[in-house]
Amino acid sequence: MLRMAEVHAGYGATPILFGVSLEVRAGEAVALLGKNGMGKTTLMKTAMGFLKPWRGTIEFDGRDLTRLTPHQIARLGVGLVPENRRIFPGLTVRENLELGLSAVADRSAAVRRRRLEEVFHHFPRLSERIDQPGKTLSGGEQQMLAIARVMMAGAKIILMDEPTQGLAPAFIRHIRDMIGELKRLGVTVLLVEQNARMALSVCDRGYIMEKGLIVFEAVSSELRESPVIREKLGV
Amino acid sequence: MSRVASWRAAVVLAALAALPALPFMSKYYLLLAFDALLFGAIAMSLDLLIGYTGLVSFGHAAFFGLGSYATAILLERGVLSFWACLGFAVVVVGLYALMVSYFSTARRGIYFALLTLVFAEVVFTFFRYTQTFGGSDGIQGVPPPQLVPGVTLDTPLANYYLVLVFLALAYLVCRTVVTSHFGKVLVAIRENEDRARFLGYNVQRYKMAVCMLSALLTGLGGAIYPGRSAFATPDLMLWTVSGEFIIMVMIGGLGTLAGPVIGGAFFIVLQEKVSSYVDWYFIVIGLVLIFIVLFMPKGLLGFRRLLGFKQWRATA
Repeated sequence: MLRMAEVHAGYGATPILFGVSLEVRAGEAVALLGKNGMGKTTLMKTAMGFLKPWRGTIEFDGRDLTRLTPHQIARLGVGLVPENRRIFPGLTVRENLELGLSAVADRSAAVRRRRLEEVFHHFPRLSERIDQPGKTLSGGEQQMLAIARVMMAGAKIILMDEPTQGLAPAFIRHIRDMIGELKRLGVTVLLVEQNARMALSVCDRGYIMEKGLIVFEAVSSELRESPVIREKLGV
Repeated sequence: MSRVASWRAAVVLAALAALPALPFMSKYYLLLAFDALLFGAIAMSLDLLIGYTGLVSFGHAAFFGLGSYATAILLERGVLSFWACLGFAVVVVGLYALMVSYFSTARRGIYFALLTLVFAEVVFTFFRYTQTFGGSDGIQGVPPPQLVPGVTLDTPLANYYLVLVFLALAYLVCRTVVTSHFGKVLVAIRENEDRARFLGYNVQRYKMAVCMLSALLTGLGGAIYPGRSAFATPDLMLWTVSGEFIIMVMIGGLGTLAGPVIGGAFFIVLQEKVSSYVDWYFIVIGLVLIFIVLFMPKGLLGFRRLLGFKQWRATA
């Protein structure tokens, strides 16, 4: 589904990614682990088209993403849940969610209502806050909203950038369950996380990233037992 | 449009329609009211850009001036149809706005503001030094337009009702825009345009669309101005006029529709009244603006909150 091969990218003249290769197959949940400053967020930005790769290829469902703009990539079905819960704070929960319908041609009231009902089935707490501005939600609720917004779009793959950062344990469990639910619904997930324990408990496979390179790859069960995880991530 | 907003707008428009019946409404006050409503409508259309989308245009005077010139050129050449003037203004302002918005929206923040300013200065300079259009004197003494053959818009009362209809239509358009999905995308762009991008929105196309809409409304405002003033001069396009439009929006309240209308009317009345006593009226206006920015950052409309009125939503 999403395949990156030998991707080099950076900011200005400063290289950050030094030939990253990874693959996320349809229906999988894949964890991308690594300490701060290893290039995980840069990789996400490159996949979404905010940074153009210097070299290498990025394909989604066989389509080359490297020449597409972020909005074109999003419209192909690539959803991003950015770090720090980037919702639109001045808009209500409903308005935030309806903004997720960019790729949906039919935005009639009936379609909006049906999609909202589907999302509220997974996030009932959001339905209680539907007319509240996003900025009045707690951190965990804002994260739910960011995920729900991508679900509204019917994304085929969701790239999540540290969704549990700064959240209380109860919300972390909820996010983990949500990722499991997304898998069950057939949505593919690429999860960038520092919380390796949580990520590997829900993902099928994992990559470890260090200094702009993928240094280890394994299925989750193997990765959990591997000494590499302690060595590279200190957990 | 919500029912409450519809009723509120209808009541205000009805009150404005009844205004000429008041005993003190002389020709002078009708003309003053014309200006107040016209520039209020223009401030409202500018707020689509500043308040809702977060784009500060320093070149809106060019749209206004081009609309005025479009009408004045036709009237001067004997084409008196009001509708032909409007149509010509839409074409002229639309083409110019397409060019300005295409290039300006490719940049963000101060660069957007600077590009709109530079384009406007080019247009100002062109009209200032082109004798075909009267050079620095502009086009003076144009005849009034005709609504239909035999019905001439040649009285302050007729012009007042014309601008009132323009204000009502502009409000309806702006209200429809800001309450639509399109309007929510504009607010999303204002809050963070990268976020809007990764949700699948072609941000530049949205910004161009709202620039065009705001420019056309401003241009239409300009197109009805010569009917009241009988002239179009390059001074209408000066960057200081663009600055005044921004001040009107700020006085009224960013991100609201009614606020800039109030701000525009307040500015015009204040300017008229103060300038009738002293030459340095802009110092007074400057002090008022400083006071508003420091103590009423949400503008006159936001000040209602302090007085205990119901809060106005910034996005409606």
